[in-house]
Amino acid sequence: EILPGENGRRKNSVCLAGFTIFLNIWSSYSRGNRTREEVVTPPLPQQSVSGSPMAMPVDFKTYVDQACRAAEEFVNIYYETMDKRRRALTRLYLDKATLIWNGNVVTGLDALTNFFEVLPSSEFQVNMLDCQPVHEQATQAQTTVLVVTSGTVKFDGNRQHFFNQNFLLTAQTTPHNTVWKIASDCFRFQDWATT
Amino acid sequence: IKAYQNRTPERLMENTQDGNLGDWFKITVPYGIKYDKTWLMNSIQSHCSVPFTPVDFHYVKHLAQFFVQDASAASALKDINYKIFDEENQKIPIFVNTSAVPYSMCNKLEPEKMEQLKLTISKRYDVSQKALDLHKLRFDPDLLGHDIIIILNRRNCMTAILQTIKKNIPELLSLNLCKNKLCQLDGLSDIIQIAPTIKTLNLSKNELKSARELDKIKGLKLEELWLQGNPLCNTFPNQPTYVSAIRKYFPNLSRLDGQDLPPPTVTGIVDMDIIKPCKESFKGPETLKNLIFQFLLHYYLIYDSEDRESLLSAYHEEACFSLTVPYNSEDPALSNLCEYLKDNRNMKNLKDSDLRFQLLKHTKCEIVNSLCVFPKTQHDLNSYVVDLWAHTEIMLCFSVSGVFKEVIEVERKSQGSVRAFTRTFILSSGSNSSMCIVNDILTVGNARTEETQSAFSIPVPTPTFSSLSTLSQEQQEMVQIFSIQSGISLQWSQKCLQDNEWNYIKAAQVFATFKTQGKIPEEAFKQIS
Repeated sequence: EILPGENGRRKNSVCLAGFTIFLNIWSSYSRGNRTREEVVTPPLPQQSVSGSPMAMPVDFKTYVDQACRAAEEFVNIYYETMDKRRRALTRLYLDKATLIWNGNVVTGLDALTNFFEVLPSSEFQVNMLDCQPVHEQATQAQTTVLVVTSGTVKFDGNRQHFFNQNFLLTAQTTPHNTVWKIASDCFRFQDWATT
Repeated sequence: IKAYQNRTPERLMENTQDGNLGDWFKITVPYGIKYDKTWLMNSIQSHCSVPFTPVDFHYVKHLAQFFVQDASAASALKDINYKIFDEENQKIPIFVNTSAVPYSMCNKLEPEKMEQLKLTISKRYDVSQKALDLHKLRFDPDLLGHDIIIILNRRNCMTAILQTIKKNIPELLSLNLCKNKLCQLDGLSDIIQIAPTIKTLNLSKNELKSARELDKIKGLKLEELWLQGNPLCNTFPNQPTYVSAIRKYFPNLSRLDGQDLPPPTVTGIVDMDIIKPCKESFKGPETLKNLIFQFLLHYYLIYDSEDRESLLSAYHEEACFSLTVPYNSEDPALSNLCEYLKDNRNMKNLKDSDLRFQLLKHTKCEIVNSLCVFPKTQHDLNSYVVDLWAHTEIMLCFSVSGVFKEVIEVERKSQGSVRAFTRTFILSSGSNSSMCIVNDILTVGNARTEETQSAFSIPVPTPTFSSLSTLSQEQQEMVQIFSIQSGISLQWSQKCLQDNEWNYIKAAQVFATFKTQGKIPEEAFKQIS
């Protein structure tokens, strides 16, 4: 109940200030949450406007930095989603993405959805990560990053396997950011390494 | 808690009249649910001095129970109490009590009705398919006309059907019980003994509430099953879990609800040992497979030679290469990988973006310079597992895993650790349409003991006739691999390659053509152990 008079107005503004602070905290929290299901990096300086005649070629180091950033962000989100929010995993894949899982080919979002449902619950631990920007000659100027990871995984709490996984991530640029999605994924158990 | 007392059947017999159908005995095996029904009954039968016919075997919570009518059998069963040992060497208790007439024996159909039932069943039986169609049996016009009410959900009715099947058509292959309002499958549990050959079962549109009902018939080796239209189908969150749950009861199942089932479930794959030799793991057209194979052959021949500089022509001007060693580089076991650790670009540990940039080798000169610095190697191509996982018209992306040996010449003998590696190559075809490497990522670690032992297990061929000694190392390796790929002996492989100017792909194509035309003589195929 807002009391009339000066006292009331002060209370009102305090309430409002408090509410604004709350709103800011809430929106940054929810924005952070929203991007946890998508791999997003800030756009490169000249990438946002394509075909601009005045665009300077992007420095190679910038490509490398972007690739590293995308790869790190991606790996964090991917394995957490795989372990804890398996149903959301297919959102990280392109519609026509292909997965080769220990030699088994799974193509397309429908097949991927089924596959990830049948795959037992997982517990991943990633010990290695490396990435490279893929040369544009191979990708027809579609920005792509090659990511390799390795580590250990347990399925359904069974014995531990070592694994190697490779991804090709492609960028979908918007003026505000770059969204990365998996175009190809290759996973193999690799029980060769010593512990 | 019920206490089971073994009342002596003989004493009880004094109280009943001779030949009375009412002398039934209930045999109880506490915790019998943990045993397989067939094993349990066979064990009991074999230990029991008097042969008997068990009736109405069923489970009540953890107990297994069945009935016998014969007093002497009951007495003999009492004698084997705690005499049978199970697989864990525990004694199995067997308790015997008098009992009322078992359910299925109640209201047994009279002989005339059984006769009519037999006629009806023979009408509904397709001899050519060995299929019995009992759908909606309740409303069969013949049965209704004779005032015979067959409600299959009732034990006595189901027993009557099973008896008829047992006597007349035990070779049954397919049984249709659709639309019979079945809410449990206890009555069917004897079907495994009566008609063990059943491969197709239709239980659709009944009232089965839980998949656990299938436990009662899981001895059947079903290949096709229909369950749709039962409440149990709605208890599963999605199709794949439904399928895998049903598959647990019938591992040989290949069709469910009219749909072909996909090949074995993922859990099978997870447990499989999937290290396969190079030739089996390709996914993709044959031509790509050959292309990649030839690439790997040539690449590693040069890599293993003295002259890694020749690799310059394999790389694109602006190619990238990086190396990682998994795990923490402070791990003492990794100290013998020191040759590689200084180039280790494991981003999990390396956070500085400048360092990350430096450790990425860019331009082909930089790459080949680093490669030349690595220890001399000998790769075991037979250990390779290759995945072609992305390709377009202008790009090939594949990964290779395998082992190699580091070659250190000590007193003219080569020694060195065995390493395991995974390498991903991205090849691209340039303007002159020749392929070159644009991206190359390598991971190196120590190989497991088993891998070390099995590596290089196929020896390099020793010359068996004079011409072989004139072959170069590259040609010798080509012969070895051709022999493994084609299955023909080393001598024939060499001949084939020689006849085709040592063009591997051409030789392979020629071989394949001859093979389909049946022109390869038997003696060419040699067993390679």
